[in-house]
Amino acid sequence: MKQLFCRTSTITFIIIALLGVFAPVIVGDTPHDIVGAPFSRPIWWKTSTLSSTHFYNVAENGIQINWDKNAPDIFNLTGKITADKIARIIWRTPQKDYIIAEVTGETWLNIDGRDMIFKQSLDLPLVGKSTEYLFPCSGSYSLSFSGAKSADLRLSLYGARNGLLGTDQRGRDVFAMFIYGIRTSLIVGIAATLIASLLGMTLGLVSGYAGGLCDTIIMRIVDILLSIPTLPIMMVLAGIWGKGLWQLVLILSVFSWMGTARSVRSLVLTLRESPWVESLRALGAKRRYILLHHLVPETAPLLLANIALGVPGAILAEAGVAFLGLSDPRLISWGRMLHEAHSFGAFTQGAWWLLLPPGIGIVTICLIFMDLGKYLEEIIDPRLRAK
Amino acid sequence: MSSKWLAKRILASFIVLAAVLVLNFILFRMMPGDAVSTIIDPSFSPEAKENLRRIYGLDKPLFEQFLIYVREMLTFSFGLSFLSRKPVWDELASRLPVTLALASASMTISALLGTWLGIKAAINRGHFAEKLVLRASAVTSSFPSFFVQLILLMLFAHTFPIFPLRGTLSFPQPQGTINIFIDYVWHLALPVISLSLISFGGWALYVRNLMVRALSEDFITMARARGLPPNRVNLHAFRTILPPIVTILLMSVPGLVSGAVITESVFSLHGVGTFLLDAVSSADYPAAGAAFYLLALITVTSNLLADIAYGLVDPRVRIEGRGE
Repeated sequence: MKQLFCRTSTITFIIIALLGVFAPVIVGDTPHDIVGAPFSRPIWWKTSTLSSTHFYNVAENGIQINWDKNAPDIFNLTGKITADKIARIIWRTPQKDYIIAEVTGETWLNIDGRDMIFKQSLDLPLVGKSTEYLFPCSGSYSLSFSGAKSADLRLSLYGARNGLLGTDQRGRDVFAMFIYGIRTSLIVGIAATLIASLLGMTLGLVSGYAGGLCDTIIMRIVDILLSIPTLPIMMVLAGIWGKGLWQLVLILSVFSWMGTARSVRSLVLTLRESPWVESLRALGAKRRYILLHHLVPETAPLLLANIALGVPGAILAEAGVAFLGLSDPRLISWGRMLHEAHSFGAFTQGAWWLLLPPGIGIVTICLIFMDLGKYLEEIIDPRLRAK
Repeated sequence: MSSKWLAKRILASFIVLAAVLVLNFILFRMMPGDAVSTIIDPSFSPEAKENLRRIYGLDKPLFEQFLIYVREMLTFSFGLSFLSRKPVWDELASRLPVTLALASASMTISALLGTWLGIKAAINRGHFAEKLVLRASAVTSSFPSFFVQLILLMLFAHTFPIFPLRGTLSFPQPQGTINIFIDYVWHLALPVISLSLISFGGWALYVRNLMVRALSEDFITMARARGLPPNRVNLHAFRTILPPIVTILLMSVPGLVSGAVITESVFSLHGVGTFLLDAVSSADYPAAGAAFYLLALITVTSNLLADIAYGLVDPRVRIEGRGE
């Protein structure tokens, strides 16, 4: 037992599971929030560019900014402004003044530097970043109003780097999503394998012990299910039945109990004929008693190794379905992250931080469970141990 | 080959096919609403709705619907797609070659490469080659296929643009049969390579284990004692492990079809898998049902073929009609 807890894989697993459990504490409970510009780089990658995000609250008397950094990626001004007649919003750079907007009455503003109409109204080139003209050099900048009665604006300047692992195509924090992805993978992997193993054990026990017609029927079903391609049927089921977490768990478990059933059955077949089960029968033990009190404990170690070895398969299957875009979009999972990276052009942006973290996460968890399963198998069957 | 054994195998394939048909029928009638409700506009008149129901045969009793359905499936008349209003079969037929080429090419490459490496590892036990094969197969089996493919796509289609980023044919299409064929190969090269890369490890491990066991048999010791050259001895051992290799070929087909679906999606290939994906995500039920049926048919057929091949290589099955 002590050996099990000293294994690297166990320790890594505990750390990862804790990260998943305490995800709201570590990265906050709103992983879908937009925190920065789309495709922002991780904060430690290409550090010459402007980092993180700068927010300024602007009241009616304007604001003065001393800027000594590179130009930001996105210039964004939102909020409410009230004018007597006409109010102008003026952006003063050390080189040139821009009239960003003219408003009348009470207006809700949402000005974005990437907007074509905005670029046109300022006579800026339509291709390229408007922020390079709005922030030409370091120096003193100001945002001021003429003729405004009251203003409650927020100026957001998004940099090209954000967070530990950058942001995705919508500007969400990839690190937060990565941490939340642990939950989905572990829940789906473990729950689906548990259900499948219980199902497989029950059917294997019944099939092996009862024999006859019951055995034939169950083994026929196993044969049929084994020769149906798994992913297509899961796609069809996910499309018809729904894309939620628990539907996915059920779908996965229905299509992964066959292996367990086969190995439990073959074990029970040999146990059934063994002298001690025969003597139990001779003593008048009921079938139910033999099954529950003697055969189930015998198959338990086999089941434990089966569970550990089955989890990677379930995690990979979940990731596959999510990668095809057939999972709930509100549910953050590693497969979903890869799906979005694939379909929203992470390649053309060179955004490796959208690709590597979820992929490495899946591989790590799979390797951990394979190692644990192998270890448990060796305990059950010491002949497997490498010399 | 004993005809009784063959008949039994064919019967088993038909049972699986029947199960797929029943499952397919039930699944697409289990969904909320009925099959036409997704295409019926609220503005349709009741007569028009009835008319549509009649076109899709939904006004008949369930059992009759099932019989019609089975007949349609067996004659490959899958009806009209809800989405494109074109015959589903035409669309599927244009996509089938890509899926078949992808699956069979990667299967051949990974089986040949895996068998070769497995034998090399078994012959050189304890050497560097064996350790490398063992490590590689352990690692590749825990990599999700699409992750490996995404990385390869990013490296060899974007960073170093050797292969195309997406699609099955260039646009505009090249002229001449040979050029079109070369273009196909160029587009399918990366998918096939990546799919083989993922699956050869498992093969190598399996063949290595079989070969190690075969090489420790008595008749091999005897062959060595008789002074046969090492190559002849290895050939002896290899012949005995041929039947289980064919079995694993059989077992790998369902996984290969699943792999092909994902691969087609990663590389945006014009195949049955992407068709199924599009149909499922846009609730085009006749198309989804037909694509799934076709994929299941591929699996069942190749299982049967592999079974027959098993009979050909294992004399016990061939002569006595006794499988394992």
